Parts: sequence; C-alpha cells; structure tokens
Amino acid sequence: MTNQPSKTDLPTWLQTPNQPITKRHRQPFWARNQRHLQALLVRLAQPAPAIPATRWQLAPHIKLLRLGLLLLLIALINNGLFLWGLALLLGAQLLILAPSQLRRFLRSWLFSSLMAVIIVLPTYWLNGPATLLWFGFKTSLILANAQYYRATTNFQDLLTGLKTLHCPDVFIMTLAIAITYLRMLGNYLLQTMEALSLRTVAPAKHPYRLIGALFGNLYLKSYTYALALYAAMEARGFNGHYAKPAAKPTRWRDYLSLSPYVALMALLIFWRN
Amino acid sequence: MHIPDNYLSPATCGTLAIAMAPIWTVAVLKVKVQIKQHRETLPMLGIAAALAFLIMMFNLPIPGGTTAHAVGGTLLAVLIGPWAACLALTVTLLLQALLFGDGGILAFGANAFNMAFIMPFVGYACYRLGQKLHHEKIGLAIGAYLGINTAALVAGIELGLQPLLAHTASGAPLYCPYGLNIAVPAMLAAHLLVAGWVELVFTLLVYQFVQKVAPTNLYQTTPKTSQRPWLYLLGGMALLTPLGLLASNTAWGEWSPSELKHLLVQQHVGSTVPQGMAHGFHFQALFSDYAIAGLPVSVGYILSALTAILIFLLLIRGLQHDQSTFKN
Amino acid sequence: MPLMTLEQLSYNYPNTQGLDHLDLTIQTGEFVCLLGPNGSGKSTLLRILSGLATASTGTYRFNDQAITADYLRDATKRQQLHQQIGLVFQNTDVQLFNPSVTEEVAFGPRQLGLSTAEVTQRVTDCLALTDCTELRERVPYQLSGGEKKRVALASVLALNPSVLLLDEPLNGLTIAAQQQLLTLLSRLQAAGKTIIMASHNFQQVQAVGQRFIIFNSAHQIDADVAGSVLATQPERQAQLMTL
Repeated sequence: MTNQPSKTDLPTWLQTPNQPITKRHRQPFWARNQRHLQALLVRLAQPAPAIPATRWQLAPHIKLLRLGLLLLLIALINNGLFLWGLALLLGAQLLILAPSQLRRFLRSWLFSSLMAVIIVLPTYWLNGPATLLWFGFKTSLILANAQYYRATTNFQDLLTGLKTLHCPDVFIMTLAIAITYLRMLGNYLLQTMEALSLRTVAPAKHPYRLIGALFGNLYLKSYTYALALYAAMEARGFNGHYAKPAAKPTRWRDYLSLSPYVALMALLIFWRN
Repeated sequence: MHIPDNYLSPATCGTLAIAMAPIWTVAVLKVKVQIKQHRETLPMLGIAAALAFLIMMFNLPIPGGTTAHAVGGTLLAVLIGPWAACLALTVTLLLQALLFGDGGILAFGANAFNMAFIMPFVGYACYRLGQKLHHEKIGLAIGAYLGINTAALVAGIELGLQPLLAHTASGAPLYCPYGLNIAVPAMLAAHLLVAGWVELVFTLLVYQFVQKVAPTNLYQTTPKTSQRPWLYLLGGMALLTPLGLLASNTAWGEWSPSELKHLLVQQHVGSTVPQGMAHGFHFQALFSDYAIAGLPVSVGYILSALTAILIFLLLIRGLQHDQSTFKN
Repeated sequence: MPLMTLEQLSYNYPNTQGLDHLDLTIQTGEFVCLLGPNGSGKSTLLRILSGLATASTGTYRFNDQAITADYLRDATKRQQLHQQIGLVFQNTDVQLFNPSVTEEVAFGPRQLGLSTAEVTQRVTDCLALTDCTELRERVPYQLSGGEKKRVALASVLALNPSVLLLDEPLNGLTIAAQQQLLTLLSRLQAAGKTIIMASHNFQQVQAVGQRFIIFNSAHQIDADVAGSVLATQPERQAQLMTL
C-alpha cells in the first residue's frame, strides 16, 4: 500500500493510519444509561405477560378499582389482623402466577421494599423498632399489591380499564400516545447514544453540553413526530373524538371479587363511628 | 422527589388530589385554546409525556462519581407552555406510578401537585420575568433552580406534617415518621446542593440548544392573555376550601395549643425548629389567626383562604401594571 | 492476518434471532457488500463489527483481538476500537446531534487532541469530499435526508477510521449523489481503507463491490462470492436483482 496523495488525491491525513489514543478516563454514566434504556425498551417490547386467561380473569376496570380500594384500605387500617388477612389474600393470588413471573415479582418487590425501608431506617433510633416494623410491613404490603397489579396487567388493559371508568377521551389518547412514543423516543435516544459512543474516541470535556444537545435533539424530534402524527390523524379522519370499543360486560364474579374489600371498608367506617 | 405510597396519609393524598382537580380543569381549557393555534399540541402532549419520562430516567453525572436525574418541569414549561407541561407531566407521573412503580399510586395527587404544578409554574414564572427584563436565560436558570427547590420544599412539608396529622394514641407516627424538622431540611439540602444545580444546568443547556437550532419551536406566549382561566382556578380553589376542612377536620380539631406544643416537644421539634420553617407555612399562620382572634377553626380557615385569594388577586393586579409599563 | 474473523457467531434479540452461526473472514483493504432482504441480519452484523453489540455465542476477532463484552467494558480499549471502525447509521438522524454542520464534523477530531488548524483542515477536507461545503453553516436538524447522509459520512470520515461500515448509505440519495458516493468509497478503498456496505439493492452496488456476501431471511450467509465470479453468473445476478 502506498501513501501517495497523487494516486487517489485524498488528503494526506486520510491516507495515514491514526495514532491510537491512550488517554484513560471513566464516564460510566453513558453505559449505565444505555443499559437502563435497553431494559426499558425490552420491557415495552414485551409487555408483562398477564396471567393465562382463566375464568378468574377480572375485567380491567374492576382490577383497577380493586387496586385503588386495596391500597386505600392498607393505608387506612391500623389493625394487624386485618392487614394479615389482606396479605394472605394477596399470597393466594400470587399462587396463580407462573413460577418465572413469581420470581420476577419477588425480585422487584423485595428490592422496592428494601429501598422504602432504608429511607425510614433512622426511625429506629427516633421512634423505636415498633414504628419501623409497622411502617415497613404496611409499605411492603402496598408495594406488593401495586407490583401484583403491574405483573398481571398489560398496558392495553390499563387503557381499557380507564376508559370503562369514564376517563376523558383526550386523556386516554394522550396516555396511548405517550406509551407508543416512549418506545420510539427511547429507541431514538438509545441509537443517538450509540452513535455518540462510536464517535467519542476520547473523554468528552463537557459531558453536560453533549447531554444538552442530546435532549435538545430529542425534543426537536418529538416536535417533528407530533407534526407528522397530527397530519396522520387528520388524514385518517380524526375529529377530536376517540372511538370507544364496546365495553366488556361486568360479570357477577367481577363484583364478587371486590366484595371482601368493600366489606372491610364498610367495617372500618362503622367501627370508627 | 417521587413520594412513594404510605408516606402520606390518605387524607393528605385525597386533599392534594382534590386540589389538583381545578388545576387540571384550567389546564385542559388553556390547552384547548393552544391547540386552536398549534394543532400539533394535541399529539405533543403525549409525546412530551414520553420525553419527560426519558428525562426523569436519564442519569446525569455529578462530581464525586455518582449520578442524579433531572425532572424537566421547568424545561417542558418553556418548551411547550406551562399548561401543556402540567398535563404532560401528569400523564408521565401516572404512567410511572401505575406501570413502573415510580412514586405512589395513592400519592399520585401529591406528586402531581409538586412536580406537574408547582415546579413548571414556578419555573415558568421566573422565565417570563427574566424575559421581561431581557435576561431570559438568567430567568430560566433561576426558574429551574427555584422550581425544583420549591417543589422539594412543598414535598418536605407534606411529608413533615404527617407525624402531626396522623399518629396513634401513644403518639407514634402512622405514615412518614419524620417531622418537619427532619423532612424539610433533608429534602431541601438534597435539592439545594445537588439536584437543583443538575436541573439548572440541564435545563439551560437543552434550552440553549433548541434556541440556537430551532428558535421557532419554543413555546410562544400569546400576546393577549385572557385572565379568565386564572379566575376559574381561583374560583375552583375557593369552592374547594371547605373540602380541605372536611378532609383533615379531625386532625385540625385536635390541635389545641397545649396539645400542639406537646406534640412538637414529642417530635423533638420544640426549640430546634428554624424560625422560617415554623412560621413560613400557612398552617402556622392560620393557627395563629385562630389563637389570636379566638374564632372557631372553620371560620379562621375560610378567612385565611379569603385573605390568600385577595393577596393572589393583588399580586396579579400588580403584575398587570408591570406588563403595561413594559409594553410602553 | 485477516482484519476481521467471525467464527460460528450468533446473535439473539430478546424475542427474535438476529444472526445464525456466521463464519466470515474479511481482509484489510477489501470492499465488501452485504446483500439481503430487510431484516436478514445485515444491520445486526454491522453493529457487531463496530462493537455496538457483542455476540450471543461464537467469536468475533478484530486484528486478532477477540471483541467480547468484557473487552468493551474497558473504556480505553472500546474507544480505540471505535477510532479504527467508523459506522454510518441507516437512520442518520440519530448520528447528528450538534448545532451546526461544521461542529458536527469537528466533534470527532477535536477529541483526538489535534491543533485547531488540523481540526479545521480535516473539517474542510471532509466537507469537500462529501460535497457538503455549502452546508457548513446549516443546522443538521433542518437538512434533507440525502444531505444528512452526506454530513454523517463526513463526520465519520473526520476521525480517519481504517474500516468504514455503511448501513444502506445510498437510500434517499439522488442518482448523481449515489454515483458520487460510490466513487468516493472506491477512492477511499484505493487509499487502503476497508469498506463494508450493507444494501438491499444489488443494482446500485453491482459496479463497485469486489465481494458480495448474501444473507437469506433465516439470518444465515447464503453465498459469499467475489465480484469477478459473480460477473460470470448472469442467472445469479438476475436472482439478486429481485431481492
């Protein structure tokens, strides 16, 4: 191989090999962000596999109502026995989960509970162990119920549930757009970070400037997406209303599934008075 | 900044969710006007919610080798307008709470109040003020810093009030176990020292980039702003004040002066509570109203609400005068 | 010593397969065209070659160094690899993040510790080579698709990589711009660079490719033929036209 500019009339620097750079540096946050984004995209690509459709499958809006009621109950109740009962109820439901789902549930539940308890750990010295234990128990019970909902509900179910509960159309539409574009923008951001890492051959002196450009670009991309999306919506005859699919009829067992919580709530109210 | 479940009592969560209702209503009305001019605002709400999600997820490096993350409330307010930002952030928070376990489900109203209302509006107000004084970047920087810190302060107060509002007969707290003396300084220290600066730098650099590359894509304020939505908001809030009374009636009623003092001593607040913290917040002001005038608490409550509204109206009036002088 | 060696390399995406047991050797200075239908694994292969992804099973060696996830975890080694291998993305939008074309092209060279004059020289040269000189003050975000492709190539060239990977670089270019780009790539190859280009349009790359690697929809290599051999096989050419 000859390096004669006359042969190819390319600039000389382009015909001579680079000197490898040897500067050492660490900016692990880029890699960490890429990992987080990849995890998010994988999650969005394969939404939580809901429990296999059995006859115990509840209507989406009932699930949502039950979650709200449960959380409210756990937050209100200060009776250990009742809470124990609710925990047993949840435990029984967990039995239906597939083993792999159960493991995933336990992992994220334990992690989030640990985080919650760590924050209140100093209470041990301020108020004693009883407060800490009680708080930890209630918080992890709430987290477990929320986690169970997430593990068994996919996004479509959430939308259907909100729709059946008469959430405004605009809100449902915005939510649907948000989740769709979370995936698109996430993909875009990930690819930009990859492109950036390919061309980052030395430590960046001002990582924040790059981050500013990254998110500035992401905003501009969002804006072009919005323009295109509106044009597409209009082209398909969008008139500002979001069509409602036929709601699934609520069955007696849907109401039945709510009954323990309603009963408990009633008990709680009358007991107080 | 995301308050998880069981840190706030259901009464506080309910009150804050109800407080958000008129704000959301006005936001929808304002955004409808915005959509008439820029029709892409409608899909932009959802896309901006996704953008906010990514901003809150992105780890930013801070000196010392660790990372923090921005919230982006002020930035979104400046980019797509404060009302649209309020709605977009609400959607983001809902998604985070329901599908990703970030922030509580019961505490959704509280989180929305802090991050979808206080933060973008404080930030945006500073930005607008800066714009009027022809230093919009300084305004934005102050807005970003102040916005997140105000939100943190409010979150700290919400958390710190819990031991006073909800406790067992023996005085053990039922929800967030930290009193004002711990919750407020902890929240503020973290945000004043670290998160506020991260937010400031992030907001400023993204804004600078967009302004340089595509200045027309920034939110343009309409020259003549109608005051009606503000009045709706005020009216809504005024109507709802008695609700606040209902929601926490038992707790408020328990606060005879001696009991409060007892409580404060029990919570180790006593003399250690900083002056500004104890007197800066309205519950203290309200309480002193009641103590001085000797009125029933409900009357005191309504009176202070009226006073607050009056001060608010006067403030708007003052700003209006400002606007017209600047136009001249 | 071959430049790149792939042995029984497979890559799996979370739900689907990307590449299935590839064996491949690429020598320094080759001009390789990856052909195949959409989704056959061309882009995945480029991602692996550039070090953006690592093999699920099998090995990839670059300059006799195995490129593994562990190897890439070392920031210095990763950056040395990136310095030698440049990639032009299929969606060039994601590659352009600076507020002006000049800054975009200068982004890479600036990090190499070059003097301001050298950086300016590189920027001027690269913009001239890719016919972007008149775009220098423009904002990348506002460029057309074809212009973005050219700017992205300029910004990768400015780092002077010894291997140039291009993912569908001809998409969205006018016929004249396509010709110009292919000529430039040939010149770069003549200067000793290795060029690997993915395309689904055989017609466009027929004239320049010296080696064609053809993927099938099962993510495997169907054929690996030299351009000179392919020229004597009209029936295979006809088959490739209909990819």
